[in-house]
Amino acid sequence: MKRLWKFVISHVSVEKFWILSTIGPVIALLLAIGFIPMGYAIWLSFHSRDAFSPTVDYVGLQNYITLFTNPKFLASLGRSLQYTIVSVIFQTLMGLGIALLFVRPFRGQLFARTVVFLPYLLPTAVVGLIFSWLLSTQYGVVNQLLSQLGLIKFPITFLDGLKSAMYVVVGSGSWKFGMFCTIMFIARLQAIPKSLYEAAQISGAGAFRCFLDVTLPHLKSTLLLIVLLRGIWMFNKFDMIWILTKGGPLRATEILPIFSYRLAFEERSFGLAAAASVVILLILAITATFYFWYFKPGKEVEVE
Amino acid sequence: MRRRKFQIMGIYAGAILVVLVMGFPLYWMVKTSIEPPTTLFSPPYSYFPTTFSIENYRLLLFETYFLTFLKNSLIVGFFCTLITAVVSTLAGYGLTRFEFRGKKLIARGTLFSYMFPELMLGIPLYIIFDSLGLRNSYVGLVLAHASIGIPLGTWTMWQYFQIVPKSFEEAAWISGASRMKTLRQVVLPIAAPGIIAVSTFAFAFSWNDYTYAKIFQDDILMFTITTGINSFVERTAVHWGLIQAGSTLVTIPTLIIIIFLQKQLIESMAIGALK
Repeated sequence: MKRLWKFVISHVSVEKFWILSTIGPVIALLLAIGFIPMGYAIWLSFHSRDAFSPTVDYVGLQNYITLFTNPKFLASLGRSLQYTIVSVIFQTLMGLGIALLFVRPFRGQLFARTVVFLPYLLPTAVVGLIFSWLLSTQYGVVNQLLSQLGLIKFPITFLDGLKSAMYVVVGSGSWKFGMFCTIMFIARLQAIPKSLYEAAQISGAGAFRCFLDVTLPHLKSTLLLIVLLRGIWMFNKFDMIWILTKGGPLRATEILPIFSYRLAFEERSFGLAAAASVVILLILAITATFYFWYFKPGKEVEVE
Repeated sequence: MRRRKFQIMGIYAGAILVVLVMGFPLYWMVKTSIEPPTTLFSPPYSYFPTTFSIENYRLLLFETYFLTFLKNSLIVGFFCTLITAVVSTLAGYGLTRFEFRGKKLIARGTLFSYMFPELMLGIPLYIIFDSLGLRNSYVGLVLAHASIGIPLGTWTMWQYFQIVPKSFEEAAWISGASRMKTLRQVVLPIAAPGIIAVSTFAFAFSWNDYTYAKIFQDDILMFTITTGINSFVERTAVHWGLIQAGSTLVTIPTLIIIIFLQKQLIESMAIGALK
């Protein structure tokens, strides 16, 4: 042991020792719980591993072929895109609107901001359960309110309706994740120098012109970053929908992560499930690469 | 002048509307939790609390495993935060203070792991943990949660150490301090705000997670608050009173954090985006 230590000391310079002990842990962990499992998932996607066969066999592209000839998979791919795009647009607009409203100081701002930021820091599972209760067909207060206002005669089956379920999962998600956008926008808006607005006002610009000429250009990089991050995260979202609808009714809200979860943990087809998750990553990676190349989302995500 | 007044009134009207819409679900959660469980299933409800009862909380704390869920979440959250903070701080320091090849690769690697679908890690980790006996353990869940926190933490500390000037450290070396001593007495205090930001979101990730806890833990004694509260949704009955009481209890610490750390929160979001 002592000899080994001496060997290490004499052959590794102090500088190298420091590099190893500072960078070593992060590389080891990223490999162990990031890249190696990911590699294993890719490997699995070319093998059959399920409850029926005791052995793990190489099957080539068979899993991918099975997926892409399965109309249920294609439908859930379509729903994933729809869910992501609608969610991102809705969350971004909502976040921007609230941020513009809340950025200037007013009486009660701390209270207002607290109420609005809170949803974002609540666990998604809790958010899902809060909305399940609000929107329950039989006991939901939203149905009660609507019928007392005379807007509906019969309770709406929010979570069990083939059409309404998708609106509900997008809406409940936005209640939480739209606030991510609000916080990001407020952080950016606060950093815009006041002198720019004063200069614009002196040269006769109205509120709308100020917004177009001063606010928007400053928000561009934040906007691009928000769309990228929210896009990635909504495309990967599992917990919100799982808690609200479990992908139902009749697969109406079954997006790719739910589809993949079902394959793995209900049908125990790990190979197929891994292939589905590889498809998710590929779509994300290709879209993100294109996004970077096309928009160059500013210094926030630049690598030095 | 009149126009200005209109504008201010508009802002107030808008703010009140937003607070009502955004706050109502929270209000309804608290209101449901402090009413007797019997009123839950007898609509129509009144919009303001009429009868007050702590029965839901009594049931939650003494008749369910809620305290176990809470304990599990705190243990996992604590170790996830510790690992993420230590590893990210070391990495951020190393990446800015030493020259070596492959920095760009590490940067790309951390950014790329932002994109990993939870399930793409969840499926292989499930198989690996299953064969290592790490399912239903703290270790497995801590590692899985750290896999979300470390890329972002590393990225944040990397950015942060770039702002911390090297000259302080160099001054300490010149006066004869070793690198270790400099690290402890000069670098860490300066890096503290960055470390606090990283720790906050590492804990938030872990506290927030449902997916990994759902995949890896099937023993109810190992559930976290998220899978735990969700276990009150049973096939035969949904215990809404327990769910709303549990959700309210989970909200309280968050509320305190937001009220006291609002400014820092906005700033730390500007450094590194939370998921």
